[in-house]
Amino acid sequence: MLSIKNLKASIEDGTQILKGIDLEVRPGEVHAIMGPNGSGKSTLSKVIMGHPAYKVDDGSVELDGKNLLEMEISERANSGLFISTQYPTEIPGVNNVDFLKMALNSKRAYLGMPEMSDDDFKNLCEEKMALLEMDERYRERGVNDGMSGGEKKRNEILQMAILDPKVSFLDETDSGLDIDALRIVANGINHIMAPEKAVILVTHYQRLLDYIKPTYVHVLRHGKIILSGGPELALKLEEQGYDWIEEK
Amino acid sequence: MDAIARIKQLGMPRRNDELWTFFPVSKIPAPEFPDACACEEDFSDEMDFAALLPIASNARTMVQSIADNAEEIAMLKCNNDFGRTVLNIGKNAKASIEILDNKVLHPICAERFDVNVGEGADVEIFFANPANDLPLAFRHFHITQAAGSQVRFASIERGNGISRVSIDDFLNAPGAKFECRTLNMLGGTAESHHRLHIYHNAPETTSTQLSRNLLDGSSRASYDGSVIVGANCTKALSSQLVNTILLSGDSSVSVKPVLKIYHDDVECTHGNTVGELDAEQMFYLVSRGIPQETAKRMLMSSFAKETFYPLPDSVGKKRLLQVLA
Repeated sequence: MLSIKNLKASIEDGTQILKGIDLEVRPGEVHAIMGPNGSGKSTLSKVIMGHPAYKVDDGSVELDGKNLLEMEISERANSGLFISTQYPTEIPGVNNVDFLKMALNSKRAYLGMPEMSDDDFKNLCEEKMALLEMDERYRERGVNDGMSGGEKKRNEILQMAILDPKVSFLDETDSGLDIDALRIVANGINHIMAPEKAVILVTHYQRLLDYIKPTYVHVLRHGKIILSGGPELALKLEEQGYDWIEEK
Repeated sequence: MDAIARIKQLGMPRRNDELWTFFPVSKIPAPEFPDACACEEDFSDEMDFAALLPIASNARTMVQSIADNAEEIAMLKCNNDFGRTVLNIGKNAKASIEILDNKVLHPICAERFDVNVGEGADVEIFFANPANDLPLAFRHFHITQAAGSQVRFASIERGNGISRVSIDDFLNAPGAKFECRTLNMLGGTAESHHRLHIYHNAPETTSTQLSRNLLDGSSRASYDGSVIVGANCTKALSSQLVNTILLSGDSSVSVKPVLKIYHDDVECTHGNTVGELDAEQMFYLVSRGIPQETAKRMLMSSFAKETFYPLPDSVGKKRLLQVLA
């Protein structure tokens, strides 16, 4: 499904942030990526999506055998990749619902499907908003405009639910969420997850993984995955931190 | 001194005249004036050629009065090269005034509006020219405000010619507020020039200016805004902000904020930004599958609409946002 091989990427001044990432994500899997601040976790999602602030130095990223690195950003998204950044961008003046509809119909156009009718879109929106326990105010607001951290994260999952991607890369989706919001967002992700899809979660804490059971847990440090394991690895990291890995 | 004598005394605008620094003055055809001025008002203090031009050309004057406590929605349309409108707004009146396009296709068109706003009155003045193709158009506003009055001025300019809007607003009594929100969406060789003088002549007066420009092709915009706070005008508040997005390498903007403050206890700010579309916002939209060109249009529309979102709900706000929809 998603295959990342020897991915190296740097920022404008030449500093290399990713120093050879290898990651295989298969359908139905949930991968958790953990690691200290500044290890390259957020950079990884942006590089895969093609953020212009990063330059790919080496390696490959394929989604279902297609080379993502050769695609335009919108094409990567329409091929089935979704990323949610740690701090979702605010776009005042672009209405949330108009934006969602534009994004969904862009994907449908890319896939050769007709535009979704207003009624069908309204029903889809209502269904997914109910799943995430979102109130009607979201419809009237600008994209992430003036929303709290928790509201933004919920809005990101709403987008994921509507766009129905194959692979979702969620960067610290649990940050800024209170206990109830964490449960709602996690339930939303579990609901969207399906055997033919995959999720990559970046998190610092076990608490998200109490709700979303990972297939694999990886530790990213200094731009490389230095350790991988099962769900038990997250528990150990929660207890002992990261220093023991270097000691090892 | 009548308008003809005064305009002849001033002479044609020149680039070294502070009021016309950014304007392509060579494009102004030399006017011919009648022998006698029909208006007997004294204009010896008037400094702006564009403010005098309609009167010196003996433009027909339309006077409209709105009674105290009345509520009125009005549309004004000038049907000649030159026009003058005098609006007297009564105490505590509410008025929404839309200025429609002058469709007279002459080499130059000049309109003057004298707006006298009574105590506690609430007035919005707006225009949203869908496609003003006049080669050269001047609009001058002379606004006087009494205690507790509010004036909101808002405009969208998307013409193909050269336009100049000049505003002199006099906040003459405590509590008077003036808010100005303008948007230029220009392409080709279009030019839009704004010249504002806001006079805080009393304590506790407020003025807000926001001007936004979306400039493509080789279009040009300029903003020359002065705020003058007089002595003893304590607690005056003033802000001035110009935001420009240059969509092409050949478009340009010139901005000149001027603050003349003769009192200590005031708060006056000014700012100016020039840039391109926000890269993070663009990335966000395209990362959701929206094609680059569509995302660009969405961000331009968002930038434009934001100019008017803070306005209270009104006929004017609805109309302006409708034009941008």
